[in-house]
Amino acid sequence: MIKHIFILAGICLLSFNGLAQDATQTLNDLIAKMNSVKDYSVDAVITSDIPMVKILPTKATIYFKQKDKFKIDAKGIAILPKQGFTDISKLLAQKDSYTAVIMGNETISNVKTDIVSVFPVSDTSDLVLAKLWIDPLQDMVMKSQITTRSSGTVTILYTYGSQAKWGLPDKLVFTVDVKKFKIPKGVATDINKTSTKDQTKAVAKTGEIRIDLSNYKVNLGIKDEIFKK
Amino acid sequence: MDDKIIEVNKLSKYFGTFEAVKDVSFTVNKGDVFGFHGANGAGKSTTIRCILSLITPNNGDVKIFGESISTNRFEILKRVGSIIEKPDFYKYLSAERNLEIFARISGSDSTKKDIYKMLDFVGLNGREKDKVAGFSHGMKQRLGIAQTLLHNPDLIILDEPTTGLDPQGIIDIRNLILELKNQHNKTVLLSSHQLSEIEIIANRMLIINKGKSIIEGEVSKLLNAEELIVNIEVDNPEKCVLLISEHFPAIHIQEIKNNQLLIATDKNVIPDLTKALVAGEIQIFAIESKRKLEDFFIKIISN
Amino acid sequence: MLLKSTYNEFIKIAAKPRSYLGLGAITILVGVILFALKADGMSFIEFVTSSFEQTLSFEGNILNGNLVAFIILQMLVIHIPLLVALVTGDLVSGEAAMGTIRMLATKPISRTSLLLSKFIAGGAYTLLIVVWLGIMAVVVGKFLFGSGDLMVLNSDGLVILQEADINWRYFGGFTVAFLAMLTVSSLSICLSCFSDNSIGPIVTTMAIIILFIIIGTLDVSIFDNVRPFLFTTHMAAWRSFFEDPLPVADIRNSIVILLIHNLVFVFISLYKFNRKDITS
Repeated sequence: MIKHIFILAGICLLSFNGLAQDATQTLNDLIAKMNSVKDYSVDAVITSDIPMVKILPTKATIYFKQKDKFKIDAKGIAILPKQGFTDISKLLAQKDSYTAVIMGNETISNVKTDIVSVFPVSDTSDLVLAKLWIDPLQDMVMKSQITTRSSGTVTILYTYGSQAKWGLPDKLVFTVDVKKFKIPKGVATDINKTSTKDQTKAVAKTGEIRIDLSNYKVNLGIKDEIFKK
Repeated sequence: MDDKIIEVNKLSKYFGTFEAVKDVSFTVNKGDVFGFHGANGAGKSTTIRCILSLITPNNGDVKIFGESISTNRFEILKRVGSIIEKPDFYKYLSAERNLEIFARISGSDSTKKDIYKMLDFVGLNGREKDKVAGFSHGMKQRLGIAQTLLHNPDLIILDEPTTGLDPQGIIDIRNLILELKNQHNKTVLLSSHQLSEIEIIANRMLIINKGKSIIEGEVSKLLNAEELIVNIEVDNPEKCVLLISEHFPAIHIQEIKNNQLLIATDKNVIPDLTKALVAGEIQIFAIESKRKLEDFFIKIISN
Repeated sequence: MLLKSTYNEFIKIAAKPRSYLGLGAITILVGVILFALKADGMSFIEFVTSSFEQTLSFEGNILNGNLVAFIILQMLVIHIPLLVALVTGDLVSGEAAMGTIRMLATKPISRTSLLLSKFIAGGAYTLLIVVWLGIMAVVVGKFLFGSGDLMVLNSDGLVILQEADINWRYFGGFTVAFLAMLTVSSLSICLSCFSDNSIGPIVTTMAIIILFIIIGTLDVSIFDNVRPFLFTTHMAAWRSFFEDPLPVADIRNSIVILLIHNLVFVFISLYKFNRKDITS
């Protein structure tokens, strides 16, 4: 009996080791594809559907330059998720700070993906867990789920089109955690508001931000001045 | 043409239970300088305020130029100029600006030239642009007169116009009123607690006391100008009384105090009285006539 | 005669030093707020958006002239009525105190015309105050902070209005704000008809406003039936122009309530003034 348990444990360990080695390879392929993009700019339309927030779609331009320069130039006010844009690339760039394991497979948008879980090595890191659904054939992230102590969980769905060769999506859909949203009293001055709003209506716990990307300009060179505030 | 300019008929005004004016009636004729006299608090200002529709009377009616003030106020007041108590102006505005403001709603087309001319007329030339805040009381009275006359009214109502003026100012106002009457054929209602003013310039008068009219009529007839009150100081008052009783029965001895006799007499009798006293070896130390009108007023009020 | 009397009232208001007190006070108050926001406006915004910023980030020129103008308007909702009442509360009682009322009332002009001319002049002064506030808040605000989308925090959440969609909202908001201030002006003139001194109507107007605001703010059911009809409840109706969707019914309701208040104050004033014995 004990012998069977040891054999089973051995098989699991070997499997785990094997899966970890597969996850590392998958992530390395992903990183290599990411690094092929030295810089890009893209036009974005940001549409937010978040409880307690009303905003019309906003136009913006997004700039990126290796290794970590990132800027969103919004025409008006844009609401964006705090997490999700550069977190994956920053996370994956520090190979010693995490361990990754393939936890299984899932089909997303007719694409079979490997589910790679990334665990931070440090106990004090803000990142709790990152899950990436990676297309192993195209080396692209189809979905990601990042959980941090400070911001909760952000889930991102990626849709690719003409820029798939660079691993750059045409559409991103962020699902954010909104449980902690509160209106500070005394600042929201609806003085003597007489019309009653439905107080019993349940407030949703998540919100969604969709970013439609078009007109990519990849590896054409971007001046550093653009990233200065 | 009707000569009655103001007709006040049984005018009454109460403030709560206080009777400020009760059943006051009088008439002011065209061309009159009508003296309206009473002590402080007698009801003069209340009556004038009722005439000018500042106050709504409880009873009675007021007609000016033959029309009721309550129904034809607009047309009547175009022809009336008035100062009620002290003239008050906008202190932060100049004399010229103040007159302009009142002239604009007086129903006349007074021009800037008219305003300057009027200010010159009342002795305020050179002060047109000065703010009223810096004016003395006398200057404000003059400005008040200017405001009253600027639109050339037919009826002028003056409530205590000489209050606070220096002697020259008082004389100027009197002369002005007489000029308005004699040369411009204006009708003036003049309210004053200074009897001397009324005696000098009014031809008709009304005396009011505690809200009630006491007497109305021509000044000369009311005072009987021929009669005088005379104070005689002699060495022997008893002998003097005996002589007057025997030889001058028409003389009325009003009062005997120490060596002084107060008598009411026709002024034409005084020379004969003096001769008789000297002939009767009565020494005369002084003969002086007292203010007749004041005595008349005191007598009327006390009765 | 109404027009002539109104012209007179304009002259008087323009000549009174206290008329410029209101304009000067607005200049200084708004100037102080603009300076404070320029120095550290982002802290104020972060306080407002703090609970959202755990999961969201706000990009763009948030602290722009439109937001600054909005903040200024919110802060000055109590102060502007005082600046209006300071002048309009004096229009009748000030003349009684000065004695000029009896000079005016002996002229060939009806008391109705006299009083209406004061209402008109008071309304014009109120308009001047509101327009000046608009210039200082919106024009100077945009000059200093630039333009951009407007972020408004209501009790039911955050609304972000696009820049192109804001100017008409400010126009509508200021129009309703003027109507609200006109109500204050009418109230103070009405109270002025009952007094022979300057200070009484001004203080009473402010006391009424403060009392009604307290009644409106107290979350007590006994006031529920009264609250919708208090004019102070609708003094903040200008904010409705910055909601999405625009609460047209609420705005219309507020306009009607404020107009009714104005008419009531005018009629009460006319009734009192026409029957008043002028003894001062």
